[in-house]
Amino acid sequence: MSILHLLVYASALLFVIMIVVRGMRIARTPVHLRWELYPVPHEKGRADHGGSRLEQIDWWTHPIEKDHLGELKVMVPEILFLKAVKEHNPKLWFATFALHFGLYMLIGVMAVAMLGGLLQGLGVITVAAGNESAIGIIAKVFQYIFQLGCILGAVGAILMLYKRIFDSGMRLYATPSHFFNLFLMGAISISGTFWVGSDPNFATNFAGIYSALFTVSPMPELSAQALNHIGIVLLFVVYLPFTHMTHFFTKYFTYHQVRWEDSNVVGKMGDQLAAQLDQKVSWGAPHINGGGKKNWVDIATSSGKEEKN
Amino acid sequence: MAIKTKKRVTMKDFSTPSESLAEFDPEETIDLPAPYDKIEELPGYKQMKEGTRDRLEASLDDTIAVGIPKPESKEEEEKLVEAFLRGLHNLFSKENNWTFLQPLTLSMEHCARCQTCVDDCPIYEASGKEEIYRPTFRAEVLRRLYYKYEKGGNKLFKKFQQGDIDANWTMISRLLELSYRCTLCRRCAQSCPIGVDNGLITHELRKIFSMEMGLAPKELHEKGTVQQLEVGSSTGMNKVAVMDNVEFIDEDMTDRSGIKVETKWDVEGADVLLIHNAGEFLAWPENPGCFALLLDAAGISWTLSSDLVGYDGVNYGLFYDDAQLARVAMKHLDIAKKLKVKKIVMGECGHEHKALGVIADRIFSGSIPRESAMTLMEDIVFNSNLEFDPERNDFPVTLHDPCNMARSMGIVEPQRRVLRKLAPQFREMTPHGVRNYCCGGGSGFAIMSGNNFTDWRVQVSGRKKFKQILDAFSDVDPGPETKKYVCAPCSNCKGQIRDLFEYYGATEKSGLYYGGLVELIVNSMKLLKEPFIDWEMM
Ligand code: HEM
Ligand code: SF4
Ligand code: SF4
Repeated sequence: MSILHLLVYASALLFVIMIVVRGMRIARTPVHLRWELYPVPHEKGRADHGGSRLEQIDWWTHPIEKDHLGELKVMVPEILFLKAVKEHNPKLWFATFALHFGLYMLIGVMAVAMLGGLLQGLGVITVAAGNESAIGIIAKVFQYIFQLGCILGAVGAILMLYKRIFDSGMRLYATPSHFFNLFLMGAISISGTFWVGSDPNFATNFAGIYSALFTVSPMPELSAQALNHIGIVLLFVVYLPFTHMTHFFTKYFTYHQVRWEDSNVVGKMGDQLAAQLDQKVSWGAPHINGGGKKNWVDIATSSGKEEKN
Repeated sequence: MAIKTKKRVTMKDFSTPSESLAEFDPEETIDLPAPYDKIEELPGYKQMKEGTRDRLEASLDDTIAVGIPKPESKEEEEKLVEAFLRGLHNLFSKENNWTFLQPLTLSMEHCARCQTCVDDCPIYEASGKEEIYRPTFRAEVLRRLYYKYEKGGNKLFKKFQQGDIDANWTMISRLLELSYRCTLCRRCAQSCPIGVDNGLITHELRKIFSMEMGLAPKELHEKGTVQQLEVGSSTGMNKVAVMDNVEFIDEDMTDRSGIKVETKWDVEGADVLLIHNAGEFLAWPENPGCFALLLDAAGISWTLSSDLVGYDGVNYGLFYDDAQLARVAMKHLDIAKKLKVKKIVMGECGHEHKALGVIADRIFSGSIPRESAMTLMEDIVFNSNLEFDPERNDFPVTLHDPCNMARSMGIVEPQRRVLRKLAPQFREMTPHGVRNYCCGGGSGFAIMSGNNFTDWRVQVSGRKKFKQILDAFSDVDPGPETKKYVCAPCSNCKGQIRDLFEYYGATEKSGLYYGGLVELIVNSMKLLKEPFIDWEMM
């Protein structure tokens, strides 16, 4: 096992752990009060005008019909094409679209290389770019996608950096990390271009790396350009879970647990809420004066007058 | 429209003492159509009373919503800062803020600062893009405080990721005011691709001040929820006063309509417990009057409650304080249980809708169902035996969507179906429905009028709505001879629209009137010999 093996294993493990920890922490926060925001796309037959089941007389007597396809119809264009930015902030759209879509392309190629590497490790296929076999052609195609993704990502990162520096509204709200993040993403793309541009065996090597990782066998021989790119990617992978870039998955929660979360109290939610109402309150304003002694039910059933004494 | 490049207020400026960080400039705001386009012909912007800045904390901009006295000593200031930080701590604890902790932390930790949300804010736009009113500005302040004081982790790394801020009294006193320069309309939240909600962040900021420091506008707290819980209504009306008033309304309605109107009180086992915003009884008595007439005519078994709080659907707690919110909601639900009604129907009041309709759902589960008056009215108009003559409503009508009803509850179509059927000249505003603009009186602003706050709210927060209303009628005779009706099925929105029309002289200049939905329904009822709406009395 090489140092590269160790670094990749460690980074991947750290990434997964941190994402799981973060996800669990969010998932475990208490049930909150309803705070949905319309349009809610799973409202069958009503999403188009932003309506809800509350538009029906005696709404509680009607069955709840959820249109999950409706959610997908909103989510897919949002994730792939950043539709909301296009609509509400068109000046920023191309830059951020290029940044994100470039990155998605790299991630896509990585996923395919991973699969190729796994199959190669299992002895099912041999990934060799350039030959005329189906796998060779697929490898070539994905090499081009990688190349394109790198160019798009680099353009996006540079344009975003430009916006961050020269658009006063954006600059004012930027912290050092914004520049660093974009710099890092730009570096991934640019180093990727160098690698794919200089390595005739790019596809073979890319899949070979994964094959070596899966089977804990020696790595293919990698150029300085390849190592450069891999190093930056690993740094990014380790760094990302500690930043706002976790939005790539927490968006699931902001949408499905808040914006579109419109359920009435059902199942074990009732018990959870009861337990939450039983918690002691320490808000200190005179009309509450919780002092860590009263619980939420005490507060809600008092008038607020007696608290002052 | 000439928007000059202003000096951008930074996070650092926000904590640095200075006289003011923003002021309203009529030259830089959005233009209104004629005859409201000549600045010199409008009443102008009333400045704060002399000496205000010496007595009160007023260094944010050129108005005050809360206006707390300046601390007398350094020690007092320090105590206030400590209290704020305690509040900040409570805000991020699951015991004290389970109610909103998840959406709040999600919004704190994932904003990309891309500013995609900002152009959707009517306040930011109408202010001429004053930096401090940008939806992301106050959110950024709270975010930095959160990372600095509440979130664990390496200090340097946090600074690198999230920036820094100084929590001093200057900043905190400004933040208090700034939390009352956003109507919680959540229009910005709709456009955020990440799902961050800057309206919610404002709401949570207000909670730190109210729930820990006891600081809130007196209209919302002392005269609002406190008075409601003690006397029965935020209007100050006790049971005797409200019953007297309603008796008078019944008589008046009977006179005007020729149909005997008799409000029912405390009928046990009624199908419907109707809860109005009690402001209606005083300011727009024909609204509860029309409800009484309509429900009786439709043969619905209904009642009002004369119990403490039972006759006032207002719940200002929704805007600033979870404890007050729960107390008022609890009273409403208890009363409904006591009366053994089948359902509560929420009158024409947007925030009552949201507080009772969705928020209370998880405070006290398993209670009596709540329904919107919009759906009940729709049902009556389309499914009862009553007959209507739309010709009686043959004047231009547009519809204002209360944010709480539309954006936060998805109640959009019922009121439109009614208008499409009963108002031949109904036309939409642009945009409308869930993408509407707030009236500018949201989150309690409509009842706040201390010092010169009304000026700010009619010229800044309500300006976009006023323009929208004018635009909706741009195809008809602009003069006062053609009466135009803005249907606003919400007491708070009506209060704000009243103030807008008064300030701009819109009734005299443009024939603009406003009212609820039920009035239009009753106006077209064939049961009445004549139309009910009397423009002179509006
Ligand atoms: C691994 C995946 C992702 C990474 C590394 C990433 C990274 C970033 C970065 C660095 C920014 C800030 C750019 C700046 O303003 O300085 C950003 C912004 C943004 N991201 Fe992502 N993102 C990822 C996935 C996603 C996904 C899945 C969405 C889904 C919709 C998304 C939506 C956005 C949006 C809307 C913005 C704001 C526009 C902007 O500032 O560029 N991102 N992202
Ligand atoms: S709230 Fe949303 S839209 Fe606004 S800056 Fe943050 S991520 Fe962008
Ligand atoms: S909630 Fe409404 S008023 Fe407040 S910042 Fe957002 S758009 Fe502006």
